[in-house]
Amino acid sequence: MADDLPVGGGPIHVSLYMGPKLARLVPQEVTEALLSAQITSTAGERSGFQLAFDLTKKGAIVDRLLPEGFFDPKTRVILTVAVKGTPVVLLDGLIVRQEVGASNQPGQTTLTVTGEDLTLLMDLEERTDRYPNLAPSQRVERILGKYADYGIDARIIREQVPQPPREQARVDYQTGTDLQYVNDLARANGYTFYLDPGPVPGRSTAFWGPEQRLGQRQHALNVNMDVNSTVDQLTFAYDGTAREEPQVRVQDPVTRQAPLLAQPDISPLRPPLGRRASPALKRKTLTGTAKKDEALAKAEALGRAATSADAISGSGQLDVNRHGYVLRPRELVGVRGAGVTYDGDYYVKSVTHNLRPGSFQQNFTLSREGLIARSNVVRP
Amino acid sequence: MSVIEPYESALDDVPGAHPYPRSSRYHDVEIGVHRASDGTEVKYAKRRLLPPLEYDSDETVPHVVSEGERADQLGQRYFGDSGQWWRVADANPVLDPRELTDEPGEVIAVPLPGGFAGGMGGPGVRNG
Repeated sequence: MADDLPVGGGPIHVSLYMGPKLARLVPQEVTEALLSAQITSTAGERSGFQLAFDLTKKGAIVDRLLPEGFFDPKTRVILTVAVKGTPVVLLDGLIVRQEVGASNQPGQTTLTVTGEDLTLLMDLEERTDRYPNLAPSQRVERILGKYADYGIDARIIREQVPQPPREQARVDYQTGTDLQYVNDLARANGYTFYLDPGPVPGRSTAFWGPEQRLGQRQHALNVNMDVNSTVDQLTFAYDGTAREEPQVRVQDPVTRQAPLLAQPDISPLRPPLGRRASPALKRKTLTGTAKKDEALAKAEALGRAATSADAISGSGQLDVNRHGYVLRPRELVGVRGAGVTYDGDYYVKSVTHNLRPGSFQQNFTLSREGLIARSNVVRP
Repeated sequence: MSVIEPYESALDDVPGAHPYPRSSRYHDVEIGVHRASDGTEVKYAKRRLLPPLEYDSDETVPHVVSEGERADQLGQRYFGDSGQWWRVADANPVLDPRELTDEPGEVIAVPLPGGFAGGMGGPGVRNG
């Protein structure tokens, strides 16, 4: 059976869809010209991508597709990858910029398109709007509702510290773009906002809620384990000044006293992953909280304490072919082989996929708030 | 459209909570909860419907069954994972995987890797 060729030729298959708003599978010439694809997805930040195409003289891309506007900005790009037959959507985004590098060397002329994920749509137009009597999650729902025609579903989690809106006391205004406002609201509550492509091409979920640091871990990253290693290298850093203790004062309008609020407990927002939590060395006074509602100030203190808690970070690179699974961002993963201090579960903060013919590498960053694993085992 | 979920649900519905891994054909199946008469709750996977058959020949390739071939060998050969034989069974469609390869010389359709089971997709997106 070895003499006849299998259909695919390897366990990893890439499909590329492009088009204005309605993306379709690209013509074969484009697939063949794809030199490399780099996709970055991060928790709490916008995802970006860069695709490089080979620009042969008299090829279909340079003759027909490029002048027709096939690679123009605001063209939608969807990239899916199938590892061992299981397809995953890696990217759903829009082209922002294209570059053509013409070269005298044969085969070195390339077309590079760069873009961002669909949240770019929310960042195009600056608006001012007022939201009387709407809690932050309701404001986010109203904003995200406008983007449903790109196949964006919203998943919104109600804020942890309830902030009942009162029109008589305060009306919240939006200035700037929708994305900035949604991100500001997320930051004020210790939440993140990101767009998760999938589960099928053309659909994606906009998530506004806490970082989900629970649930089943992904397959563990093995380092320094001879043939069982799946990660080429892994670097850990412990930044003692990363964690801050926010100092928040709220003024009572009657007595004019501004007492210090108690330190918030961040463990419901992010369950601890390490046994020995890193202490907060810095004290940071939040400005502008004195005139706010108490709930608003509490939420901000909580968000600040939670987002700065991740003092331990790790970064590394893995080969998907050897690992056997695609590492997904914004989920938990176990690490073994790094020693007692740095073994255990981590939150995958960001993943950069590097695809080129014959290789699929992933660069990732991990984070957690303390040293030493809580459990003796990780999921293999 | 979206509904605002209470804060607690963020901690219930966590990624990876589905009992079946991504490579399983039951990954997209809804999980139901059966409440027995004594109050105990039993989780079960609801019925999985076969995806609609596509008569598009450019999404499948023909395969001629040879003597003594098994479904898991097809999975290994076309997808690189013997556990993926169910994709071939879905495309043909058969209920018993042995039916796939019981007649040598028969031509069966093997879906191209990278296709999404269950059709669907967003507006204008075709499976590939």
